[in-house]
Amino acid sequence: MRIALIRIIFFLVLFLIWYLIVSIGHVPSYIVPSPVLVLDSFYHGFMKGGYLLAIYSSLIRVLTGYFLALSVGIITGILLARYYLLDITFGKIILALQSIPSVAWVPLALLWFGVTDNAVIFIIILEAVLPVALSTKNAMKNIQPNLIRAAQTLGSRGLHLYKNVIIKAMIPELVTGLRLSWAFAWRALIAGELFISGTGIGQTLELGRSLADMAQVMAMIITIGVIGFLTENIFFGSIEKKVRLAWGLEGGN
Amino acid sequence: MIQSKIQFLNVTKHFNNNSTGKSSRKDTVLENLSFEVFAEEFVCILGPSGSGKSTILGLVAGFIKPTLGEVLFNSKSVQRPDGSRTLVFQEYALFPWLNILDNVAFGLTTKNHKNNHAKEKALEYLNLVGLSAYKNHSVSQLSGGMKQRVAIARALAVDPEVLLLDEPFGALDTQSRESMQTELLRLLSKTKKTVLFVTHSVDEALKLADRIIVIGAKPGKILIDTTVAVSKPRDFKNLQLSEIRNKILDKLTHPDIFMGSDI
Ligand SMILES: Nc1ncnc2c1ncn2[C@@H]1O[C@H](COP(=O)(O)OP(=O)(O)O)[C@@H](O)[C@H]1O
Ligand SMILES: [Mg+2]
Repeated sequence: MRIALIRIIFFLVLFLIWYLIVSIGHVPSYIVPSPVLVLDSFYHGFMKGGYLLAIYSSLIRVLTGYFLALSVGIITGILLARYYLLDITFGKIILALQSIPSVAWVPLALLWFGVTDNAVIFIIILEAVLPVALSTKNAMKNIQPNLIRAAQTLGSRGLHLYKNVIIKAMIPELVTGLRLSWAFAWRALIAGELFISGTGIGQTLELGRSLADMAQVMAMIITIGVIGFLTENIFFGSIEKKVRLAWGLEGGN
Repeated sequence: MIQSKIQFLNVTKHFNNNSTGKSSRKDTVLENLSFEVFAEEFVCILGPSGSGKSTILGLVAGFIKPTLGEVLFNSKSVQRPDGSRTLVFQEYALFPWLNILDNVAFGLTTKNHKNNHAKEKALEYLNLVGLSAYKNHSVSQLSGGMKQRVAIARALAVDPEVLLLDEPFGALDTQSRESMQTELLRLLSKTKKTVLFVTHSVDEALKLADRIIVIGAKPGKILIDTTVAVSKPRDFKNLQLSEIRNKILDKLTHPDIFMGSDI
């Protein structure tokens, strides 16, 4: 409770400083808009529905890409864990791919798919597939062999063994991978949307730039940060914590 | 008539160390090993680290296959693990995502042992090891000795014919170790099982075993196979026990056989 209060006061002070600097310093609003203008932009954006639609379209896009990436990533991870030859060849390419930032894929995606949703989804998949593939591979390789042996000697095998032991043992590491993948997907989404047509957070941001509407640009940057924070830290963070607790990887609290 | 439960027929086991990518040197762990274990016998396998004790249990359980020779269970070749031969590990190998009761009930959810009253039956076994009050606890809340009781209850709950224990009390302090040994004997007096118990403590073997098999390392072969015809619980002052102990220690301290032994 006290922490929450301290945070609220901190943000209020921050806004006040921002407001004072802009109004006393006479900074033009196309360079740094006053917080009042940004709030106004939020108000109108949400009331007229433009921002809501943008957020909705972006979420659909990122979820599509993310879930496709998960399916591909989990299967890839399992194959990499099971086939040594695949790991030392294809597995290394994946590691190399991971060092390429998502914007580097934009020109390629635009040439292949045009300025469409598919281009963005393609970029998201490329980015998000890697962490989940790697964490699936590691999770599978790191299962204690004795857990599997114990289960087998108790009569478990086949589907029962997969469902009740192998997948369960993988979950903590997998959740971390899912969270990382989501963070990558979110960043790739925004990078991609700057370049395509249609509605979305990235497009609204880009539109703000072309209209020199700095308040809209700021509003979208804040939106990206808030949604990113809520999903990555609050949503995935609490899942991760619950899982680690349930798996006995962390003590109380 | 004494019935043979487990038979090793000229079993040789190589491990091909290729998978680590380091070398392709063949590691002979067991060579031409033959012995048999009779129904309801409590056999201790004694030997230094790396002598292949865990490998022997893996062969009986069925998740390790012999390179040469054959392992028989009830006169039939061992195929795969199936719940008739359960294994208790030194590091417990409990499922951390299940609570204590569900851990014990695990085997009763498999096809071989499908039981509609899995939870009730699991609770019975948990009661048998004195831990029914902990049924809803998580694994990480238990001490080492308690975890091992749960692991034993889990292994017994499927009512196996053979109970395999791989240095089960090796990670416990002396006091809980001794109470666990007594506890195990008490449990086994209630549920008759054939037991293969791996240890590298001579005194533990002398306290528990109807028969002690001492194996040496590189490659593992039988050095001593002796019956301990002393009734339990045992008094260590017993002359026969001292004799067996001396015989074993003689072999164990032989420098050619037990290099780097941690006994
Ligand atoms: N899966 C395996 N792959 C390669 N080598 C193994 C494997 N399992 C055991 N070994 C080797 O076999 C030898 C005997 O192992 P083990 O049966 O665990 O001995 P013990 O239980 O008596 O300590 C050791 O040298 C060990 O390194
Ligand atoms: Mg061992």
